[in-house]
Amino acid sequence: MNPMASRRDFLKQGSIGGLALASMLAREPLLGSGAPSSDLHHPPRAKRVIQLFMAGAASHLDMFDFKPELVKRHGEKSDFGEHVEAFQNGLGPWMKSPFDFKRHGACGKLMSEIVEPLGEVVDDISFIHNVVGKSGVHSQATYLQATGFQFPGFPGAGSWVSYGLGSENEDLPSFVVLPDHRGFASNGPKNWGSAFLPTHTQGTTIFPQRANPIEDLHPQADYVTDESHGEGIDLVNRLNRMHQRSRPMDPRLDSRIRSYELAAKLQLSATRALDLSDEPAYVHKMYGLENAGKKYPKNINPEEETEYFGRKCLIARRLIERGVRFVQIWSGNDNSFPRRNWDSHEDMTRDHPSLSLGMARGTAALIKDLKQRGLLEDTIIHWTTEFGRMPSSQKGKGRDHNPFVFTNWFAGGGFKGGRTHGESDQWGYKPLDRKNPTLVYDTYATMLHQLGLDHERLTVRHNSIDRRLTDVHGHVIKEIIS
Amino acid sequence: MFLRLLILSLGLFSYGLLRAGDLSFTQDIRPLLSDACFHCHGPDSKAREGKLRLDDRASAIKSGILSNGEMIVRLLSKDPEERMPPPNSKRVLRSQDRAKLVQWLKAGAEWPEDDRHWAFVPPVKPAAPKVEDKKWARGAIDRFILARLEEEGLKPSPEADKHTLLRRVTFDLTGIPPSPEEIDDFLADQSEDAYEKVVDRLLSSPHYGEQVASYWLDAARYADTDGYQNDRIRYMWVWRDWVIRALNDNMPFDRFILEQMAGDLLADRNFMTQVASGYNRNHRINSEGGSIPDEWIVEYVADRVETLGTTFLGLTMNCARCHDHKYDAVSQEDFYSLFAFFNGIDEAGLGPNNGNSPPFIPVPKSWPELKPAENKFVVPAKMQIKVVQTSVPRPQSGGANTVMVMHELPKPRPTYVLDRGLYDRPDKARKLQPAVPEVIGGWKKEWPVNRIGLAKWLTDPAHPLTARVTVNRIWQRLFGLGLVKTSENFGVQGEHPSHPKLLDWLATEFIRGGWDLKATYKMLVTSATYRQSSVGHSDSDPDNRLLSRGPRRRLPAYAIRDSALVSSGLLVPEIGGPSVRPYMPPRIWRSISNNSYKQDKGDKLYRRSLYTYWRRTIPPPTMLTFNAAEREVCIVRKDQTITPLQALTLMNNVTFVESARHLAERVMTQEDLTSEDERITYAFKAILSRPPSSRELALLKEDFLHHEEIFSKNPQAVGQLLKVGEKPNDSKLPSAVLAAYALVASTILNLDEAISLN
Repeated sequence: MNPMASRRDFLKQGSIGGLALASMLAREPLLGSGAPSSDLHHPPRAKRVIQLFMAGAASHLDMFDFKPELVKRHGEKSDFGEHVEAFQNGLGPWMKSPFDFKRHGACGKLMSEIVEPLGEVVDDISFIHNVVGKSGVHSQATYLQATGFQFPGFPGAGSWVSYGLGSENEDLPSFVVLPDHRGFASNGPKNWGSAFLPTHTQGTTIFPQRANPIEDLHPQADYVTDESHGEGIDLVNRLNRMHQRSRPMDPRLDSRIRSYELAAKLQLSATRALDLSDEPAYVHKMYGLENAGKKYPKNINPEEETEYFGRKCLIARRLIERGVRFVQIWSGNDNSFPRRNWDSHEDMTRDHPSLSLGMARGTAALIKDLKQRGLLEDTIIHWTTEFGRMPSSQKGKGRDHNPFVFTNWFAGGGFKGGRTHGESDQWGYKPLDRKNPTLVYDTYATMLHQLGLDHERLTVRHNSIDRRLTDVHGHVIKEIIS
Repeated sequence: MFLRLLILSLGLFSYGLLRAGDLSFTQDIRPLLSDACFHCHGPDSKAREGKLRLDDRASAIKSGILSNGEMIVRLLSKDPEERMPPPNSKRVLRSQDRAKLVQWLKAGAEWPEDDRHWAFVPPVKPAAPKVEDKKWARGAIDRFILARLEEEGLKPSPEADKHTLLRRVTFDLTGIPPSPEEIDDFLADQSEDAYEKVVDRLLSSPHYGEQVASYWLDAARYADTDGYQNDRIRYMWVWRDWVIRALNDNMPFDRFILEQMAGDLLADRNFMTQVASGYNRNHRINSEGGSIPDEWIVEYVADRVETLGTTFLGLTMNCARCHDHKYDAVSQEDFYSLFAFFNGIDEAGLGPNNGNSPPFIPVPKSWPELKPAENKFVVPAKMQIKVVQTSVPRPQSGGANTVMVMHELPKPRPTYVLDRGLYDRPDKARKLQPAVPEVIGGWKKEWPVNRIGLAKWLTDPAHPLTARVTVNRIWQRLFGLGLVKTSENFGVQGEHPSHPKLLDWLATEFIRGGWDLKATYKMLVTSATYRQSSVGHSDSDPDNRLLSRGPRRRLPAYAIRDSALVSSGLLVPEIGGPSVRPYMPPRIWRSISNNSYKQDKGDKLYRRSLYTYWRRTIPPPTMLTFNAAEREVCIVRKDQTITPLQALTLMNNVTFVESARHLAERVMTQEDLTSEDERITYAFKAILSRPPSSRELALLKEDFLHHEEIFSKNPQAVGQLLKVGEKPNDSKLPSAVLAAYALVASTILNLDEAISLN
């Protein structure tokens, strides 16, 4: 059989999933119609992404975007100078942040005490304070930030990156999602579905604390030894090969046989990637895992949140070291009680500090750790959330949704450090320059640009439309890349 | 100028190989123009550049560029300012396609007066072609296929062996495998019409309706939840059961459409037709506080138009929602004129945040066996909005004993063209009445201007699309690829049919035969084309577009699970009823707003996958792993992939391990099976529908003995294996032997053949 024909058919029939083969994909024109002759559109600055998604809407005003005007006007009747369509009537008096702000790093960025650990790495971060959303509704806004569209049915950003770049490894999925261990955010797995992209580009969820961190990864119990399990796979493939001899023209059988070999590899690699016992004690400490296994109080607390988030950050590092392209870490689930997300309508001082300190410690450790391993320069870290929170108070101590402005930031992967791009207005209510806000299309255009992909050319035709991660919009934010 | 001439002549050199006169405008040229030019020089008037239209014959000819050489220059120029499509437009025209356009222009740019896109020209029944081989064809379908094969110098394949054929047709018509007994009966039946008898038996099986319904549910985006944020529960299974019953009763397809489109409006409406109208309520509904009701009503109505577009017209209507279609002559006004048919429903923008959203009607307890007095039209309660949580307007909620239906407001909402498709940007100068797209045409004055008229238009014998699109989907189901490969898109950007005349023959026969689905299935599965062996014998047609061999396909997701349940004897073959909750990964629903997934017990764990509770935000993972449609929006075609997660599912998922366990029990308790060889052979046949070869049998027996030895020394492992899944095995059976057979069964369930149709 002609090996080229077979390989072509194989890719046409549907490439081997989960673990797309880097060598194959890199050589195949997968970049939409009229694919360029080279693998990428231009030389890349980065090879992979770790995205941190704060579900429920983290408050820019209480973390990264200090507003002296709110300190001055604290308690005064809020006046936005226009009618505001508030989500839940959260238009009480102006409210200053209940947290202290201090300058950090050589850049002197003002950041609040609940993100203090990030102070150590602030000179590696580019902030964008004028991001605007389209909807103040969690599900739509989460879709928008996760997929570029505010309705279901579109691939997650990690799927696009996997599609565009292929996988760097044979043993692990190219797009891994580490959900909040308490559950998913709004829209659940739809935020990382492959939609109309090939199934192998979908995010694979890993719950590290479960016996089966990937569903059905291992048999339900130890009824087979590793050895006889391996023999089982061999037998399946021997029988498949016997069958294949009677139909030499069918490339799908090759793929099926390969999928069993890859499944066996995945069982080993995933187990190894999640086994933190070979990390030295100082690394555990750096990520805040020194209390691992401790009994925590019932109420939300920073130590517990640190362990949860830190563990995901450390696993993310281990995954990208093994060639995973895109790791998405979620903090906060959707609307559970007691609240375990960033949706602080009632009281900014109840959930934000614990979630934020946990996030900041793990994230700072991740940035430092990547840097010391030389990985930060080609790994993009992207911090996002579905929208921000209002400068006015709600129910006295809380803040309502603010889709009109919020913060994103990038680190590593050729992004400049210690930068702030795009400001919000004096209240942190809307962009200072309302005509030139940053949209999700711009953040993703910039991310793809750093990965060597032109966001206008990374297209796939679906129902006659050339779909993109950035819809029909998006500009690369030149100011924050070097 | 000199430079330009030079480039021209260099260009000419490279198309020396193309023969003039080979190019057809509609087939070869327009698709290229559409791809490369229509974006700026097409139907969308707002995006049009330089006042040039290349989608319209008259304006293209009038512009002069086809004949004055300008277009050739533009195509060949290296000057970025001049070259078309502009290098920075990111529209790519491959050099061979560029050459084709130039060749066409040089040959005089012939553009036929009747340049209608093929799919908009009503089909006319073609005569079946003459063929050389007089023996092979069994009917007209085969003659169309054979004529093309003979043209290409190819020969059809011999008929598949009886095992393969029985497996193929049984899965295709019922979604489950033949039993070992059915296999033996078919092999023993030496009569001429043994196969036809099997087909008749399958078409009258109640599982036929389930199988055909499963595709309809994907297209109709049927699910058990609302789909947004908290993804609240709804109750639509009564509609699903209506579909299964209508298909089993072989309701003519035109009536099937009419009742679903307008069952609430018909003169002879009753409870059943009213349930059918729930088709247009299967879209997602948003309940999230803070959402804007008007925005969501637009979303629901648009979804109905888009579903109609994909399912019946094979057109991507959603393109025209925000702007005139870039490729097909469907304007934004066309979109909103169709929209107007569905814009008068007494419905709410926000859902009730649990349960059915009005309009809904109570379902009698006796469902599905209604007493005549109960089969009456019911006026749904008027929608009542109550504001809760200070600002959230919610309608009343329908409980588990209701089903959603269509019901008109006394006066429909006014419909306007929405600028950029945005709910709050109606163009008040362009108020629209219900109407169908002009490019398709064919509206008759005597039809009422409502959904009844719409259904009559769709099923009018002169309608160019509905029948073609429908038979093409059936073809796709049976042969893996449609005659039009892009079964969701018959527009200019879709693919041209591989056998245009066969498609027209099938469509006209479908209409002539009274839109008879079972007869159509029968005609197709009894054709010589379908009955061919799928073993390839030639390199020249890797995708099998010419059908020189039988189809080889992977089983659909549902059939993979159902097949394991059937072969193990676990399947509970009850038809219809509320959706069931079989095994799912731990805490699967906890992730969405404190929901808990209460897994069912007993029989409900073993119902067909069609009845598995479909939560839109978290669909059953096993089904998605095998490429099931997501049921978010209308889906008529899904690409298939091969992934390691599929291997892991078949090896380790509780359903498949439990099935292996029970297939083991089945072979150990069946009285006529006395030896290991016989037991393994039976298991093999139950899963793969054929006996093993002696080599296969030897390998599996070796495997069995190996496991038996290990398990006999390790009762703990035996206990763990036999505990997977909730239905216990017969405790009187020797457990180590049972466990060893279970692993053999698991091996067979993992073979590629187990999830394939050869």
